[in-house]
Amino acid sequence: MEFKNTTLSNGLTIIAEINPSAKSMAAGFFARTGSRDETDEIAGVSHFLEHMMFKGTAKRGALEVNLEFDELGASYNAFTSEENTVYFAGVLPEFQTAMLDLLGDILRPAIRQEDFDMEKEVILDEIARYEDQPTFKMYEHLMASHFQGHPLARNVLGTPDSVTALKRDDMQQYFDRRYSPGNVTLVGVGNIDWDAFVAKADETCSHWKPFDADRTLTPCGGSGVRTAVTDPKINREHIGVMSPAPSAQDESRFAAQLLGTIVGDTTGSRLYYALIDPAIADEAHTSYDMLDGTGGFLTFISTDPRRASEALEIALGEFGSIMDAGFSDAELQAAKNKIASSATLKGEVPMGRLTAVGFDWVYRKEYMPLAQQIEKLFSVTADDVMGVASEFDLTKVTVLALGPLEGI
Amino acid sequence: MSQVFHTEEFANGLTLVAEHIADVSSSAITISLPAGVRFDPEDRAGSAAVLAEWCFRGAGGRDTRGLNDALDALGCQHHESVSSRHMVFLSTQLGRNLPAVLEILADVLRRPTLDDKTFAPSRDLIRQDLDALEDEPAKKALMQLREKFYPEPLGQGIYGSQESLAALSPEGLRDHAATCMSPAGAIISVTGDFDWDRLRGLVGEHLGDWSADAPLAGETRPPARGVTHITKDSAQAHITLAHATVTVSHDQYYAAHLAATVLSGGMSSRLFTEVREKRGLVYHVSTSYHSLKDHAGMFTYAGTVPPKAQETLEVTVGELRRVVEDVTEAELAKAKTQLKSSLVMRGESTAARAGAISSDWYHLGRLRSLTEISRAVDAVSLDDVKAHLQQWPARDFVMLVIGPEPLDTSCLNA
Repeated sequence: MEFKNTTLSNGLTIIAEINPSAKSMAAGFFARTGSRDETDEIAGVSHFLEHMMFKGTAKRGALEVNLEFDELGASYNAFTSEENTVYFAGVLPEFQTAMLDLLGDILRPAIRQEDFDMEKEVILDEIARYEDQPTFKMYEHLMASHFQGHPLARNVLGTPDSVTALKRDDMQQYFDRRYSPGNVTLVGVGNIDWDAFVAKADETCSHWKPFDADRTLTPCGGSGVRTAVTDPKINREHIGVMSPAPSAQDESRFAAQLLGTIVGDTTGSRLYYALIDPAIADEAHTSYDMLDGTGGFLTFISTDPRRASEALEIALGEFGSIMDAGFSDAELQAAKNKIASSATLKGEVPMGRLTAVGFDWVYRKEYMPLAQQIEKLFSVTADDVMGVASEFDLTKVTVLALGPLEGI
Repeated sequence: MSQVFHTEEFANGLTLVAEHIADVSSSAITISLPAGVRFDPEDRAGSAAVLAEWCFRGAGGRDTRGLNDALDALGCQHHESVSSRHMVFLSTQLGRNLPAVLEILADVLRRPTLDDKTFAPSRDLIRQDLDALEDEPAKKALMQLREKFYPEPLGQGIYGSQESLAALSPEGLRDHAATCMSPAGAIISVTGDFDWDRLRGLVGEHLGDWSADAPLAGETRPPARGVTHITKDSAQAHITLAHATVTVSHDQYYAAHLAATVLSGGMSSRLFTEVREKRGLVYHVSTSYHSLKDHAGMFTYAGTVPPKAQETLEVTVGELRRVVEDVTEAELAKAKTQLKSSLVMRGESTAARAGAISSDWYHLGRLRSLTEISRAVDAVSLDDVKAHLQQWPARDFVMLVIGPEPLDTSCLNA
């Protein structure tokens, strides 16, 4: 395993974790932009733009991009979150150069009007698709509630109205404001020919013009409100709970991850024994979500509506009991072992390692080999974890319930 | 690329298959017992799902917490699932913890506590899963489509019904466990980092003297088939279609797989291009191949807002049919590259390989190397694909839609 990095003259940083024994390689452009960088007028543009990146460039037509990826046998896609947009592809090593030629080219999209109009239809369908997924809708409502007044409250997809009203030139302006080479990182993982990787990136991306694309980070303590969004069409009560947590830049993020696992891993956690084991809920899990300049502990619960209040109070009781009475050494060790196993499994596949390596760099300009990461994880003490629990107060929660109930 | 396979068939009918993967430190285990929905007693659908949940609530003298904590302490991530034929336990962990995890899983297989106290919550979780399906119309549509497509009860939904779950009792389900949790026909697959001699020895030690008769599967009945509309005030119409194709062991298997890839592999595939990219009708449209031992189908899903549902159905069915007439050499070449690349990339994941070799053993009674599969893919000609599509045309659809309004289905018979 070898780490390399360089920066092109226009500010595009290129990093790679090279593993000559891997059988494939993966690459991704990580753009530090998402719905938190939007305004009301252009709500949903980050995600819509992500789609348009696959609809052609100055030298490739709308259908050619997908065709070329498929001809390379690539496993490729993109995703947009509140604060990142990532375009990625995995291929066999012999296709590295051809893949990078394509992936680099699409980051400078043509955004042709007719393709824009057609894709708008697809986006509206995607919004409708998520309407039929209450867990997803609940997450959107929860983020909007917890982060109210903060840019992270903005949902990724936008609304049917905002997407319908969006114009091609609005999207171009957003692109010209956010996709500066200095705001994008090219990440490679797996069996990579580094010299060829850099040479191709230079050829494909060095004409990108740099400009300032900063993001102002403002803190957020969370609204702490409880809301029920009533929808009688939904069968179950989908409850989301969020409380503040360390940011992606915070050194205590390992302790936070352990705390999230002890409290709410899908097996053997506090919530598992309190809610799943007695079948009060069929889903109850907590994760630590690290964000740019802030963070959150995020808990999802799905229950019968008649047991929703009970389930919520039990979960909150567990949060309180961790803060008051702590946890056992066995719980901490199990959490460490589970996180280490899962990171190891993910890390054995280049496509799995890509986001870990990419986000370490995007958030902290740091590279950490998996082994070192696991070492750091194992060096976290119970005091470190309790420090996070008390500093961030697990019981200072924003609650959102979506389902048939009128209140919770 | 050379692969190192091992197999061991024990006298009690249990087969251990394994693939050593270099340069990884993880290992994956799948345990497939002949205890899937196929074996659910007729009036007690959902038995397998409840049993899979119940099995992890104490075993070998450990209670629920003791069992879970022991697995957690080993960094083991486990997941239980149920298919038509099998009840499957999947577990991933570091290779060095494999022996200890195996010992615990052997307790789950042979000495599950299955006490009255833990029965009710186990059943209640499955009852809630069934309820939750109402909030996931796309998943529900595909599950019910399978039910109507495969001979009964092979495609039966794993959660059963409220009535069949209510009919379960701890005594009845313990009896069911005694007949179907059997080594006869069970497959254990292990991949990644392990020592074969030690692994074989451990499995022999823990499971070699396990004996039970093979469970008997009841007769199958012809499937319901037909066109079903389930009215729901949903944001999208969830359209699902199934038509018959060849099974994994059939000599046209690779041709079928390549045809499915031409139709739905990647974003330049026929369906994605014609239904989404050129017409903007959907966000998601796909066709996937699914096979049981003796029956297989191509399952198509398209989700769209109701005003576009009729056109979506017609264009989708049109594309499923047109491919036989004009599939090109270029499309076939692309599909071959896609299949071979994904084989190599999936081959890097211990969990994916554990599933693959277990499936190979079940369907074929042997393990296929990536080289063998690659060669078989390469050997398929355009004429082979066309001949396959002519023999297994996109006709006689079983269709199921969840959405506000029924659709005009005359295009299915055109």
